[in-house]
Amino acid sequence: MVVRKRVNRSVAPLAAAVALFLAANPAKAETQGYVISWFATATYNLDFKGNCPEDRNGGQIAYRLRTLKQLGYADDVAKAIVQDEEHPLAKEANLKAETRAVVNGKPASIYNYPEAVPDPNLELSSGKYAYGFDLDGKTNPNDFEDPDTGLKVDNQLWRAVGCTESFTATPPDKPYYEDLTWNLMVDSAPGWSLRISGEDLSKDGPVKIVLDRITQHLDRNAAGGILHNMTYVIDPSPRSHNEFNGEIKDGVLWVKKGGNLYLEGEMPYHHEIALENTHMRITRQENQEIAGYWSGYLNWKNWVYMYTARPVNGEDTIGIYYALKKSADADPDPKTGQNRMISATWRMEAVPAYLADISGKIVATPASASQPLQKLADSSGE
Amino acid sequence: MKNVSMLARRRVLRGILGGGAVSFGLPLLDCLLNSNGTALANNAPIPLRLATWMWPFGLGDSDYRPKTAGKDYELPVQLASLKPFKERVNLFSGGEVFLDGMSNNTHFTGVQGLFTGKISNGAEYSGSLDTLIGDVIGKGTRFRSIEVSAGGDPRATWSARTGSGKSPAEVSPLKLYTRIFGPEFVDPNAASFTPDPEVMVRKSVLSAVTEDRQDLMKSLGAADRARMDTYFTSLRMLEQKLAIQLEKPAPLEACKKPDTPPQEKSTAISLLSEGMERHDLFAKLLAHALACGQTRVVNSAITTGTDGLRMEGETSNHHTYTHEEPVDPKLGYQVESARFQDRYMRALHDFIATMDSIQEGDRSMLDRMVIYAFTDHSAPRLHSLRNYPQLIIGSGGGRFKTGQHIPRQGDAATRVGLTLQVGMGVPVSAWGSGSNRVTSPISEVLA
Amino acid sequence: MLKRVLVLAASVLPLMGSPASLSSATDPVPAVVAPSPLRISPAFYKQSIIDIFGPSIDVEGRFEPEEREEGLMAVGARKVSVTDAGLELYDDIARGIAAQVVDEKRRTALIPCKPQSATAADDACARTFVTQTGRLVFRRPLTEQEIATKVKLAGEAATTLKDFYAGLGAILGDMLIAPDFLFRHRAIEPDPAKPGEYRLDGYSKAAQLAAFLWNSAPDDMLLTAAATGELHTADGLRRQVDRMASSPALESGVRSFFADMLGFADFETLAKDPMFFPAYTIKAKGQTQEQTLRTIVDHLIIRQGDYRDLFTTPRTFLTRSLAALYNVPLVELADNGQPDRWIPFTYPEDDPRAGILSQASFVALHSPSGRSSPTLRGKALRENILCQRVPPPPGDVQFNIVQDTSNPLYKTARQRLTAHSTSPACAGCHKITDPIGLSLENFDSSGAWRINENGAEIDTNAELNGVKFNGAAGLAKVIRNDAALTGCVTRRVYAFGVGAQPPRNDEWKAIEKKFADSKYNFPGLMRQVALSSMFFALPSTQETAK
Repeated sequence: MVVRKRVNRSVAPLAAAVALFLAANPAKAETQGYVISWFATATYNLDFKGNCPEDRNGGQIAYRLRTLKQLGYADDVAKAIVQDEEHPLAKEANLKAETRAVVNGKPASIYNYPEAVPDPNLELSSGKYAYGFDLDGKTNPNDFEDPDTGLKVDNQLWRAVGCTESFTATPPDKPYYEDLTWNLMVDSAPGWSLRISGEDLSKDGPVKIVLDRITQHLDRNAAGGILHNMTYVIDPSPRSHNEFNGEIKDGVLWVKKGGNLYLEGEMPYHHEIALENTHMRITRQENQEIAGYWSGYLNWKNWVYMYTARPVNGEDTIGIYYALKKSADADPDPKTGQNRMISATWRMEAVPAYLADISGKIVATPASASQPLQKLADSSGE
Repeated sequence: MKNVSMLARRRVLRGILGGGAVSFGLPLLDCLLNSNGTALANNAPIPLRLATWMWPFGLGDSDYRPKTAGKDYELPVQLASLKPFKERVNLFSGGEVFLDGMSNNTHFTGVQGLFTGKISNGAEYSGSLDTLIGDVIGKGTRFRSIEVSAGGDPRATWSARTGSGKSPAEVSPLKLYTRIFGPEFVDPNAASFTPDPEVMVRKSVLSAVTEDRQDLMKSLGAADRARMDTYFTSLRMLEQKLAIQLEKPAPLEACKKPDTPPQEKSTAISLLSEGMERHDLFAKLLAHALACGQTRVVNSAITTGTDGLRMEGETSNHHTYTHEEPVDPKLGYQVESARFQDRYMRALHDFIATMDSIQEGDRSMLDRMVIYAFTDHSAPRLHSLRNYPQLIIGSGGGRFKTGQHIPRQGDAATRVGLTLQVGMGVPVSAWGSGSNRVTSPISEVLA
Repeated sequence: MLKRVLVLAASVLPLMGSPASLSSATDPVPAVVAPSPLRISPAFYKQSIIDIFGPSIDVEGRFEPEEREEGLMAVGARKVSVTDAGLELYDDIARGIAAQVVDEKRRTALIPCKPQSATAADDACARTFVTQTGRLVFRRPLTEQEIATKVKLAGEAATTLKDFYAGLGAILGDMLIAPDFLFRHRAIEPDPAKPGEYRLDGYSKAAQLAAFLWNSAPDDMLLTAAATGELHTADGLRRQVDRMASSPALESGVRSFFADMLGFADFETLAKDPMFFPAYTIKAKGQTQEQTLRTIVDHLIIRQGDYRDLFTTPRTFLTRSLAALYNVPLVELADNGQPDRWIPFTYPEDDPRAGILSQASFVALHSPSGRSSPTLRGKALRENILCQRVPPPPGDVQFNIVQDTSNPLYKTARQRLTAHSTSPACAGCHKITDPIGLSLENFDSSGAWRINENGAEIDTNAELNGVKFNGAAGLAKVIRNDAALTGCVTRRVYAFGVGAQPPRNDEWKAIEKKFADSKYNFPGLMRQVALSSMFFALPSTQETAK
C-alpha cells in the first residue's frame, strides 16, 4: 500500500479556476445546494516584509512586555513575570494590565473601556495587495489591488490587522483565532447554507443566491474535510435569511451591490456576519466545491467585540481596536465624524449539500445529485 | 505417580483450600523451566509491563506521515531521534478522535478519546487505557501504577480508573524515590511467596470440567473425538498455567535499588531543560520500579498539554508558540514550536533507552514491555484531533510485531488502544463509544 | 511434610503430559455416531447470555475466530475446536460474565435465593443456583452428580474466599467454559418408535430449534417440552415451532442467518482509502451492515415479503451519513447534535439502487480498498447468493493490468479486465464472475454512485446465463428471477440450522415447493425446515466417521 501525499497546502488563486461555473451538470431551472465549509477573514500574506516593512508589532509576549513596561515594571522584572506564571508579581501584574483603563479616576476593565487606554499604535499594513471589491465606486490612495482580479479594491480591515501575528496566515490556514475556533465549533455549531438558482447554471446569465442558517452542524468526511452531499434543514427564522441577485459571467458568479447580509453564528466563532453593500465573487472548483470572497462594510466595533470574545484572545486587543478605528472608511458619525463602518472581505468555501425546508421538502440538491430534484421529491423518508 | 486419581488430586487441593493461604514448598519441576533456567518455559511468570508516555502538541502541522507503509518506511524527520530503536517501534499515523457533535475542549477532549475511548461534553474522564491493561497484567503488585509529570504539574496525568478521578502525578523524583525505594521497599527476591487464593479456587474449580469427558466422547466419530481432545488439551494447558501461578515466581535478577536523585530547588519549573532533566530522572526510577516488580504500569507525561515550558532566555513558551507562530509557508510547519517537539522526541528516545538498559536474562526489559506514546493534539496550531501520531515501542515479550509504519488515515485513533489491549491480553472485543468505538484490532502488529 | 509435597507434585502432573487414560480419540468408533458437536458462534454466545442473564451483562472479549465452510460459519462450526489460546479468551470472557452476574447490583435479581451468610458457604442456595442456571447454560438439566460436584466446589471456594457469591461466580465461570456450553452437543438415544434405531434426545432437539430460530439458548418452555417428550411428537413439535416462529426473537435468528450468509464477518477487516472515498466515514461503515439487516427484517418479517423481492425492493433504511455516501437526500428534523437515527427511505421508481445488492454491505464489502472489483463482486454473488462455486485463480496469475488504475489505455474496470482476461487461463473463470460484476460498476469501492471512472463513461451492460441486461437495476431483476436464488437460500437455511447440507430427497423437494407456493415467504421456510424430519436426522456412520 502506498501512502499518498497530502493535498498541496497552497490554494490556487480563484481566478484561475478553469471550468465554467457549474459546467458539469447542465440542467434547466435548477437550484444547487451548498453548505459553507471554510470561512475566515481574507488574508494575503505572501509578502509579510512588503506588507509590514517595520515589523514592529511582534507577538503576544511583545505586547505583554510593552504593557508591563507602561505599567512601570522594569525590563528585567517584566521579563521575569512573563517567563514565570508563578512569579510573585505575576498575579498583581495581570490584574493591573487588565484593569489599566481609567474611568472616573478608577481602574476599569480594558475590554469594557478600550477608549480609556492609550493607543498602542500598531503598524498597519502598507502592502499592495488585498482581496476585495471596489465598494465605494471610487479610486483613492487607500485602495489595495486584488491579487486575483487586478482591480482596485476597498479592504481597510486588512489594513488594520494585516501586520498582526494572529492574521499572518495563508489559506488553507485561517487567521489563528478563526482557525482555532472554527476547528472547535464546526462539529457542533449549526452551519450556513448557500443556494444558487438559475435557468441554466452551466451558462452565463442571471442567478439568485440565497443564504441561510441551517439547524444542524456540519459532518466531516473520512479525510477530515467536510462531507459532501449531506442533507441539512434550513432554519426557518427570517433573521439569517438573505437573498441576492447575481450573475454568472465568464464562469464566475458575481454579486454586486447586493444590499445587506446577515448570518447569525455561534459563540465563540463568528457570532454574526453582518455586511452592508454586499459583494461576492464565487468560482467552482474541480471537486464540486465552490470558493470565493464576500465583501462589504461592517461595523468595526462589532467586529472588535467579536474578535475579543474568542477564547484566549490576544494581548493585541487594544491595538486592534485602535487600528480598526483609524482605518474605518465609511458611515461617518454625524456628531464626531468618526467612521462607524469599515470595508472588509471574507474568504469562503462551500461543499455540495441537499437542503430541505422545515417541512422536510428538498429545496436544493448538489450539482452531482444522481437524480434530478423532481425525482428525488418522489423518494421518501418516512 | 501417574496413577494418582483425579479424585485424590482434588482432595489434596481441597485440603489446601480449607487451610487458606499456605506457603507452598513445591520445587519447580524441571520441565517447566526453559533451557537456561532464567525464565519459565511458558512465559507465564515473566512479568509483562506497560509504560505510557504523553507529550504535548504532536509532531507539528507538517505532514509527518511516512510515504510508505510496512517495514521499510523512512523515519520522518520529526522522529529522527528514535532512529536507534526504529526496528522496535510501530508508528501509527492518521488516526482521528471523532467528536460526534460534542465540543472539542482543547488539550482534554483528544486525550479523553485517545486514552479512554469515550468523548463527553463534561469533564468526565475515567477508565483510561493503562488501568484497563493494568487490571490484567498488574495484579498483585505493590503499586497498581505510578504516574509522573516532568513539567512540574501534578495534574499532568491521564491515568484514571473507571469510576474514579485521575491519579495525581508525582512531580519530584526524590519523593518518588522515597515512595518506591524508601523504608517500605521489600526486596522481591527475598520475599516469601503466598499463592493467590483466587487462583487456587479457579484451578480447583476448573478440574471439575474434565470429569464427564468420557460421556461426551462416547457416541462421537473419530474426527469429532479429535476435536474434543483438542479442547480437553487446551483445558489442561489452562490448568497448567494456573498451576504455575501457584508457584513462587522466578527471581527478579535485574532488580537493583537506583541512586537517590538530588533534592530539587523548587517543585514548579518553567524551563524545558529542567523539565527534561527531571524526565530522565523519572525514567530511571520508573525502570527500576518495573524491574523490581513494584508495579507493572507506569505513566509519564510531560505537561497537561497547555505546555508552559520555554527555552532558556526566551519569553514565549511552547504553548504560546503554537498559538502565535505562523506556519512557515515553505516548510509547512511552525519552526519555533518544532524545536520543542524535537526535544520531546529526544526525551522519548532516552526513556526507551533507559528501559532497554535493564538486562533481564538474555533480553532487555524493553523486550518484555510496551511503551505507548501519544499526544493531546496532532497539529499544534489548530489543536486538531485528526492525523494523530501514535507509537507503540517494544514487543511486549513477542506479543507485537514491531518496526512498522501503519497508516490509518481517517480511522479511529482508538483502534491503536484496542490493539494495545488485545496484544496485552485484555479480554475485549470492542473499545470506545460512538464513532470512536472500534471492534477489531490492527492485525498487522499483533504477533 | 515430604509426603504432602509429593502428593502435591502429583496433582500437577496429569496436567502436563497426555496420559493415555485421558485420550479417547483412538478408541473404536461406535456403531452409531452422533452428529458433530457445533462450536457456538460469538453471536450465539452473546444472545444466550442476554437471554439467560439479561441485557445488562456486557459480554466483553475476543472470541476464537470462526471458519466459513460451504458458505457458512454455521457449517464451519462442526469442524472447529477450541485451541489453547482460544480457551484463554473464553475463560476471560466467562469470568467477566460471572463477576457481573454475582456482583452486588445484580445478585438479587439473578441469584434465585439468599444465602444464610454472604461470607460463608451455603449449599442449599448454591444448589438452587446451580440447578436452575445450569439448566439454561448447558441447555439441559444437570445430572445429580454434576450438581453435587459443583455445589461442593462452590462451597469450598466460598470458604476459601470468605464470600458465598465469589463461590457461585467461580462455578458459573467454570460452566461457561465447559464443553457443554461452548459446544452444542447433539446427544443420541435409542428411538422407542423404531427399535434398533437412534434419534436426537429431546434437549438436543430443543437446542437445535432455539439456535436455528432464535440464535440463542432454549427458554424454559422449550426445555420443558424437551423433558416431557413433547418435541418427539409431531403435534408437540409443531406447537413449539409455531410459538417460536411467532416470537419477536425470530428476528435474532433471521439476522444471524443473513449476517452469516452475506459474509458480514469480513467487515471486521474492511478498510477504504479515505483519499479516494472521503464519504466512507467510520460512521457510515458501521452502519452499512445494519442497513441491510434492517431492510431484510422489515421486508421478510414485518412485511412478510417475497424473498426474491429483497433484490429489487426500493425500500430501505438510511442514516444521514449513509445518505451522504449514497448521494441521496435524507431529512432529519430532530435537533442539532442528535445521534444518527434510522429513517425509512424509498428510492424513486426505476432508481438503479434498489435491492440489497446495491447496498454498501455488498458492493463495498466485496471491493478492495482503493478500487472496485467486478470479479470479487461477481464471485461473491455467485457464491453467497446463488450457491455456485467459482474456482480460485491460478497461482501464477498476473494482476498488474487489473490493479493499475492509472493506465490511460484502460480507464475503466471493464477495459482492464478485458485486457487481463484475454489470456485463456483466466478467461474461463472471469466469464463466470465478471459479466455480472460489471453491471455493478456504477458503485465505487465504497458503495457510492458514479457514472464515470477516470473520466470515461462506465458501461454496465452485462449478461447472466445468456440473459442480457444493463446495470444494477437490470441485475436485480435477473437475479430475482434466477431459479438458483431461491434454491440457494433454501439450502443455506437448512445448513445454518443443521450444520450440514440437506439431502436431495422427496421431502426436500416438498420443502422447496412449499417455499415457492408461499411466494417465497422466508419465516415460512424456516418453519418448514424446522418441522421436517431431516432437521433432526442423524448422519450416516460413515459420513461422521470420516
